[in-house]
Amino acid sequence: MIRFLLILALLCCSAMPAAAADTAPSPALLDSLARTAAGVKTLSSDFVQEKHLSMFKSVMSSKGRFYFVKPYQLRWELTAPVASGFVLKGEKGRRWHERTGRTESFVISQDPVMKIVAEQLFAWARPDFAWLKKEYRITVLTESPVLLRLEPKGGPTAGFLKHLLIGFSADGRYVRSVELHEKDGDFTRIKFQNTAVNKQLSADLF
Amino acid sequence: MAVPSLPIFERLYRRLAGRSRKALFGVTLLLVVLSLFASSRLSIQEDIVAMLPDDSSTVAGDFRLLQLAPFTKKLVITVKARQGDTAALVAVADSLAERLRGARVGNVSTGPADLSGSFFVWLGSSLGSLGTEEDLERVALASTPQQVRGSLKAGYEQLLSPEGWALKGKLQSDPLSFSTVALEKLRFLNLVPNMRLVQNHFVSADGKSALLTVDSTVPMTDSGASRDLIDRIDRAIAASVPAGFGATVVSGHRYTLANAETIKRDLYLVLSLSVLAVFAIYLLFLRSMSAVFVFLVPSSILVIASGAMALWAPQVFGVTLGFGGVLLGMVDEYAMMVYFSCRQGGKDPASIVGEVSRPVLFGALATLLSFGVMLQSSLPGQRQLAVYSMTGIVAALAISLLVLPHLIKPAPDGGIPLDPRTGNWRLPRRTVIGIWLALLALCAWQATKIRFNGDLQAVSMVTPDLRRAEDELVRTWGDMRGKALIFSEGKDLEGALALNERLFARLSGRIPAGDLVSLAPLLPSAGRQEENRRRWLSFWGAGRAARLGRDLAREGEGFGFSRDAFAPFLASLTAPPPAATVEGLRQAGMGELVDSLVITTPGAVRVLTLVPDNPQLVAALTDELKDLSGVRLVSQSRFGANVGRAILHDFTRYLAVTSALVLALLLLLFRNLRRVMLVLVPVVTGVICTLGAMGLFGMEFNIFNIAATILIIGLCVDYGIFMVCRITEGSDRIANRAVLVSGLTTLAGLGALALARHPSMHSIGITVLLGIGTGIPAALLVIPALCPKEPA
Repeated sequence: MIRFLLILALLCCSAMPAAAADTAPSPALLDSLARTAAGVKTLSSDFVQEKHLSMFKSVMSSKGRFYFVKPYQLRWELTAPVASGFVLKGEKGRRWHERTGRTESFVISQDPVMKIVAEQLFAWARPDFAWLKKEYRITVLTESPVLLRLEPKGGPTAGFLKHLLIGFSADGRYVRSVELHEKDGDFTRIKFQNTAVNKQLSADLF
Repeated sequence: MAVPSLPIFERLYRRLAGRSRKALFGVTLLLVVLSLFASSRLSIQEDIVAMLPDDSSTVAGDFRLLQLAPFTKKLVITVKARQGDTAALVAVADSLAERLRGARVGNVSTGPADLSGSFFVWLGSSLGSLGTEEDLERVALASTPQQVRGSLKAGYEQLLSPEGWALKGKLQSDPLSFSTVALEKLRFLNLVPNMRLVQNHFVSADGKSALLTVDSTVPMTDSGASRDLIDRIDRAIAASVPAGFGATVVSGHRYTLANAETIKRDLYLVLSLSVLAVFAIYLLFLRSMSAVFVFLVPSSILVIASGAMALWAPQVFGVTLGFGGVLLGMVDEYAMMVYFSCRQGGKDPASIVGEVSRPVLFGALATLLSFGVMLQSSLPGQRQLAVYSMTGIVAALAISLLVLPHLIKPAPDGGIPLDPRTGNWRLPRRTVIGIWLALLALCAWQATKIRFNGDLQAVSMVTPDLRRAEDELVRTWGDMRGKALIFSEGKDLEGALALNERLFARLSGRIPAGDLVSLAPLLPSAGRQEENRRRWLSFWGAGRAARLGRDLAREGEGFGFSRDAFAPFLASLTAPPPAATVEGLRQAGMGELVDSLVITTPGAVRVLTLVPDNPQLVAALTDELKDLSGVRLVSQSRFGANVGRAILHDFTRYLAVTSALVLALLLLLFRNLRRVMLVLVPVVTGVICTLGAMGLFGMEFNIFNIAATILIIGLCVDYGIFMVCRITEGSDRIANRAVLVSGLTTLAGLGALALARHPSMHSIGITVLLGIGTGIPAALLVIPALCPKEPA
């Protein structure tokens, strides 16, 4: 009998996180996150990216810097193992690469891949819950700190992405981690570190 | 002086004058009622093909082929943003498209189907079937160890960036970017010169305009349905295009509407004016209740001719009924001659009928002859018009000579209103002849300048709004509808594609990709694909795939790629590539393009190639492609010239044959060369003055006003016959009056068309005005001046 109760207790404990994972976010939670994030005007952060891809023998690691000014300016800069990056400013953008030594401009709406990238990055950085709710089925994995699971409803993202995990800082003002899980089991984890909120950012960055 | 007469009509009058008179009226009325009933069966065919030659000149065939050009049957909507905000522009285009779909206007497209995924997969997988020898050389260059290293490095770095999220699959399936070789084939598929794709939308090069196309089932010749369609589109635009944006619609439906509405307004104006004018003429010159019967003759023959047409050819061209109807409605000179003769009285009515029947019959024979020659025309509409008019003239002759004399009583004093004998207004003979000769000389000189314009736009109403929209369309998107078309025709798709391939091989060297549109690089024939496949497999089978596998493994190791990272790619190199098919292209999102360029009809398939429509290139290609059996080139510019040439040829032949036949008929009837020459005075004057004035004022002959020339010839010959008969045989005042009044009613009816805004109606009006306007004075003034003392 004791053995049976122990098994039952273990089953209940293991079921609890699963029940939480299926929880749709309460409007209050998203409102609270949106209110908190509304006070954020700029973000600057280091990031570390790990790519767990079956194409590679080991994890691909890279690091860089991330800058964001509300509503439409963003800089994503890889510093190692190669120096490359891009700046998005409204509808326009420019990218550079140390290998080519060239900087080229582009228009986001005319570059299907950059359009997907820009939509994702801006949606996490702001964060734009209206857009996220339109594009993804959102479930709350943990509430403190908030960890959301986003599953694409359709569109081009659904072609390669299975789901996203977005983790917020303890105070809910910014995103601390993002995981992109692909349909074939590969995933990418990005951790944001040394995040500065509302720090004055040089206009030259964009 | 005894007036020559035709006794048969005298006898007929006498026979019908008694108890049979009521039967005659009854039969006539019955004929009109039955004809009215038969006319209701007529079905009208609104097709410009009626006025295009259907002989060996191939003009009509070219016209049908020109209608197969992409965008010809579509509604093209341009949404324009005042600011260059492309994202907002695309959103407005989507919103308008949604609204149009809701309004059920047809199949609405804002861009190709999603090309991001399925199309590139299709393109990459089909490279083995599409790749030429040159393509394989490029593939070989992309597969060298050095290139492999460079491509893998670029791929690795791409994977590190956020773009790598979306590009991993592409790197796995195509690490050496072979798809760029296949993408080159799209260079020959740019249907819209200034277009690029933005978020799968057709957007102009400057990013300020978006293109929507609508495939509607509404026929372009149906003006009622076109009105409804354009109204629904206008409402959708008003509801979904916000301030700061604008939308213009260009389509054949708008031309149909512009033409139909202009014609409606014109007819209202012209009919009102002509009815008033004809009424005034009757009031002034006829002044009798029995004049109502004269007025009824043209109305009756209109009904009888339409009824006969319904029995002969229920499918009648709109132009036959419209133009022929107006034409017959104005032909009242036979009735007028009979009316004035009967009103003058002074003799036994039967004798009057016998006497008047001679000039009337002669006139009718000459007119029948001139319309009879038109039966030889290469324009189907003109042939139908000839049958219609000849039926009407026979009916007019019969009613005027058999029925009308029984309805008109002699005037109490035998006089006719405004009798010219009561005035003293005869012009000096030498002056009349001098002015006439000078006018003829001037006009004959100017007639050499006249031009024939076969361009159908020249007879179509183009409003300033439409012209602006067309100009804007060309400015924004390039001349996407102004290309020459080359059709490769086969019994089946395979035959057509094989021919299209041979055509492309000839053209691709001399016409750059942007100007040449061809499906050949993307859809070769099955035979060519099999050849490509064999070459592809042999290329990779000679140990090359294995070598590439080793290179990828070696170079990839340096970047951390696993050994089997590119296994699917390597496997695809040695597996037989799938065939490129029409169905495959459709499934890959290129359905609209394929449907524009592959035209299937029962028993034949045509594959379309587009080239710039400049006369030099078209002329050169026409010559160079002669040996490619099944290839046919059609071009708007050449089509216009061909129509002009065909009409000129038709008209010249018509003039020559009619002149010879009418001359022969007149010689037979009059047996006097001098009188025949006199008869011809009005017709020669009318035709030469028309041609001369048109040449002088830079007016052109077109497919409509050329038919009006036939009317001028027919009527002016009648005037000449009436005048000569009566002058040489006495009683010229009746002929004077008949010619003057019927000429004036013709001018009031057809000449009023000169006030019309529609180019075709205006050109008919001007031509008739010039021809009849000079033919009448020639008959009334020149003929008497040329024969002052003609013996009886």
